[in-house]
Amino acid sequence: MREPIVIENLSKYYNKFLAVDKLSLRVAENENVGLLGPNGAGKSTTLKILCGLIRSSSGTAYIDGINVAEKPEQALSRIGAIVETPEFYPFLTPQEILSYLGRLRGMRGDGLRRRIKEVIHLVRLDDWGKVKIEKFSRGMKQRLALAQTLLHDPPVLILDEPALGLDPRGVVEFREIIEGVGKEKTIFFASHQLVEVAQVCTQVAIIDHGRLVAYDSIVALEKKYQSLERAYLELTEAPLD
Amino acid sequence: MTEFEKLRVVTGYEFLKHIRRKRLYVILGLTLVAELAVLILVPVLGEGYPDNVMVMAALLSMGPSLATIGAIFFAGDAIAGEFESKTGFILFTNPVGRMTLVIGKYLACYAAVILLVIFGYVIVSISLLAIYGNIPIETLSSFGLCLLYAGSALSVTFFFSSISKGAMGATVITLVFIMVISPIVDSVLMMTGQPSWFLLSSNGDTIATVYGGYELFMEGLGVSGGMMPFELETPDVGLAVLSMGIYLVVGFLLSIWISKRRQLS
Repeated sequence: MREPIVIENLSKYYNKFLAVDKLSLRVAENENVGLLGPNGAGKSTTLKILCGLIRSSSGTAYIDGINVAEKPEQALSRIGAIVETPEFYPFLTPQEILSYLGRLRGMRGDGLRRRIKEVIHLVRLDDWGKVKIEKFSRGMKQRLALAQTLLHDPPVLILDEPALGLDPRGVVEFREIIEGVGKEKTIFFASHQLVEVAQVCTQVAIIDHGRLVAYDSIVALEKKYQSLERAYLELTEAPLD
Repeated sequence: MTEFEKLRVVTGYEFLKHIRRKRLYVILGLTLVAELAVLILVPVLGEGYPDNVMVMAALLSMGPSLATIGAIFFAGDAIAGEFESKTGFILFTNPVGRMTLVIGKYLACYAAVILLVIFGYVIVSISLLAIYGNIPIETLSSFGLCLLYAGSALSVTFFFSSISKGAMGATVITLVFIMVISPIVDSVLMMTGQPSWFLLSSNGDTIATVYGGYELFMEGLGVSGGMMPFELETPDVGLAVLSMGIYLVVGFLLSIWISKRRQLS
């Protein structure tokens, strides 16, 4: 079975603080895996290493078998990512931003224009395509972030709290979109929202203090701990203030 | 897709950002106001325009200030801004090398600064043509030096932008370095008779002194050399070109090297 995401013995220090501690896990093709853990557990750090935004202190991360640290451009060509709460250049419009990012990924011409229209429609920003982003709310920027993630139809999605800032309707719409595209994509999805993860993912990886404490199907965890929430509470400690 | 094709895309869209920003038009407006101020104040406060076209050309030459302000305001946030405002979370997750991104941003900033410089020199040329009926050939040398100076100021700005946490910090540090520290050291070295060809402020002076040196400039304004407490030595153009070339190359390479190693944590 192909494993588009492979993390081997990954560690990351921020000065003396150990954010990720010898983390190893593999995500199979077309699997939707939720990454759970308290604040500071190392979720975002792990995703940032996978996206080539930071370097690991030791260990290796692979996307589709490509070492992210050694060949970041090749690895990044296979993913679409939302990391933290991304911002966009305020004086450009969604169409211009998507055109910029699409062209960086080799898309062009009518194909790119058609795809931009599709993803803008998918995230319900049809009336805002030509409006400068400086007028956008947090939720609208998050929708645009999702649009740029799907623009080039990547096989792997890496999502870090993607529904942050969305209103309840936005959260539901976002979930429907991810559920729709998730059937044919590999999704690695960090979130604090257990309900959201349970609805989108079939498996979860729970990390605490940078260490993997559980990696199993939601069904198996619910069977062992009675619910995903109890599994989370029993396997993780309270976050440090 | 080759890195060169990606570079073209980055440069194009980064330039579009400059076109969309208000600061380009604000600086263009300020340039016009400053040139008009010189054109109005010189005859009002003096005895008409100077007889020598070279003196007036040097007076109107705002190249160093224009290039410095343009470089700082366009490039101060070029690298630091991606980290500070989190736009890097979108841009850096695309399959494009940091080096390509920095070069593309540099070229786009340079294009915007060149636009400013050309605007300034068009005003100078039209003014000289209207007042004296001719434009001295030295204007071309001045223009060329100004473009080189703009490149070096841009490289210095990129360097500070690559090491700064925030865009405002990078802008302020560069502004202080080029427009405060460098001129102060330049003045001290000049007063003590020491060479200052390696300072950006001294290099910038060549953009105006190429019209005939400090002496002609002072004479044209009716200031005799004896009135100065120290002897003004006109900077050597060759050394200035060498110095600006070093700033341009070293600053640019350092900014690429630092940006490639910088992490978005």
